[in-house]
Amino acid sequence: MGASLGKPIILTVLIYLFLKLIVPNIPGSAPLPSNLIFLYLMLTISGIVIFATLSGESKDAFWGPIQRFLTGETVGGLQMLRYAVLILFPLLVGWETYTSTTPSDQPPAENRTIHPAPPGEYTGLSNPVAKTPDNIMQGKGFYAAFCSPCHGGQFDGKGPAARGFNPPPANFSDPTTIAMLQESYLFWRIKKGGVGLPIEGMPWKSAMPRWEVELPDEWIWKIIMGEYDGAHQSPRTWE
Amino acid sequence: MKPANEMSQWVIRGSAVVGAAIILSGATPSLAQESVSVRAAMITGTLPADDPNAAEWNSAPLAQFPMSPQVHWQNRIQEVTVKDLKIRALHDGTQIAILLEYADPTENPDDAAALEFMVGDKKAHFAHGQPMAQVEGGPVNIWFWKNKENKAVDMSAKGFGTLKAQGHQDVKAKGVYVNGTWKVVFSRSLVNEHVDEDVQVKPGEFINIAFAVWDGRKDAAGDLVEKGSQKAVSSWWYFRADPPPDYSGYLYAAMAIALAVGFQFVLIRKLKKGKSA
Repeated sequence: MGASLGKPIILTVLIYLFLKLIVPNIPGSAPLPSNLIFLYLMLTISGIVIFATLSGESKDAFWGPIQRFLTGETVGGLQMLRYAVLILFPLLVGWETYTSTTPSDQPPAENRTIHPAPPGEYTGLSNPVAKTPDNIMQGKGFYAAFCSPCHGGQFDGKGPAARGFNPPPANFSDPTTIAMLQESYLFWRIKKGGVGLPIEGMPWKSAMPRWEVELPDEWIWKIIMGEYDGAHQSPRTWE
Repeated sequence: MKPANEMSQWVIRGSAVVGAAIILSGATPSLAQESVSVRAAMITGTLPADDPNAAEWNSAPLAQFPMSPQVHWQNRIQEVTVKDLKIRALHDGTQIAILLEYADPTENPDDAAALEFMVGDKKAHFAHGQPMAQVEGGPVNIWFWKNKENKAVDMSAKGFGTLKAQGHQDVKAKGVYVNGTWKVVFSRSLVNEHVDEDVQVKPGEFINIAFAVWDGRKDAAGDLVEKGSQKAVSSWWYFRADPPPDYSGYLYAAMAIALAVGFQFVLIRKLKKGKSA
């Protein structure tokens, strides 16, 4: 009799553990949002209920223990648990209602796009400066003078001027920043700065200077070389 | 007895798992981090708008923000005195008072601090509302205080070189220097009629705030080290004046509990009847 309830419970638990612990570890996957896990569990439970109520016999085997528990017949030592469930269920409903109707005092969630699409004229440009040790060295010198106060001497985004800025300056040694981008993208970002971002990049928050007013293009291309070399990253290419 | 025991085991295990699932799937851990917003608590007594040391400030939640040397536009500065700001705010439904607190080893006549707000619905760049290439920006409202005059200047800007004092001065400020710490309190009415120039603080709504501080010390040649754009700055953070207390959430929760209890009662009665029938 217990087994008829046991199997569904085990199945639900296994599916929960699969969604919570195994799915996030599948390569290319990510942790599932809690509401999605809830939805999957609800689908699982609905499926179990439909399956368990297909025949009159399976229906009795499935609902019988639940009915007896709820009505308090033959529950034996479970009487306390029954009372606990009967008290906790309304409280849980009340809590859920309270939290969902109370206005949040959290600031609005921000979906800032970190690497938004560049304007057309800044796609596919190749670095016109020859990749020579001299030019790389010069680029690193410009980087030290103009970029390192925020992006850091170690290219890690932890320069002495970084701490007050939100969003924080990019960490170039992180494989999800310049290693994912083409040189022409960096050229756009350095030249036009934070105020050059489209609306999804929230330009009003960015402290990145608009370097086109201070640096010639050639210096910017050299800085790009210096950044990739110093951060031990390579620009993304289409090949 | 055996079936009952077996069943009881399953039910215990099952309910534990379901409970854990609800908790794990519904709970999002809130991690401790530095502040992202200033919360102005609502008080019923007198607002301590003239007194940075008033006891009322202890009831205001503390927010803390890191500051950077201003390196975003010329003229830059690479190192500044003030590296952190503590902010508290209170309102009484009519007036708002904001308290800045920061360490500064010396008191100088040119010590100064400022608050900056976006004005209206348009986003404004934190650097004086400078133009943005792809977004139409709005103006900023700046509340500036300097030790020399020990009063506020209510200012507007929309881009570099446009900063000017407003024709109507609506902001008050007072600074007190004790033991290496500046405490400066700014105050104004929450809302006013100058909606195009002044920030409007509507309780319950999040608005944007940024900070600037100048240490008025001089170098060996007698020149100010921090002046104009050479200052400590922050980019935008959030600010919200607490709305008046709202108890409707408790009412809705009580109604939901009553409904759930009723549902249980009806369900169990129905099940019992079904059994006996």
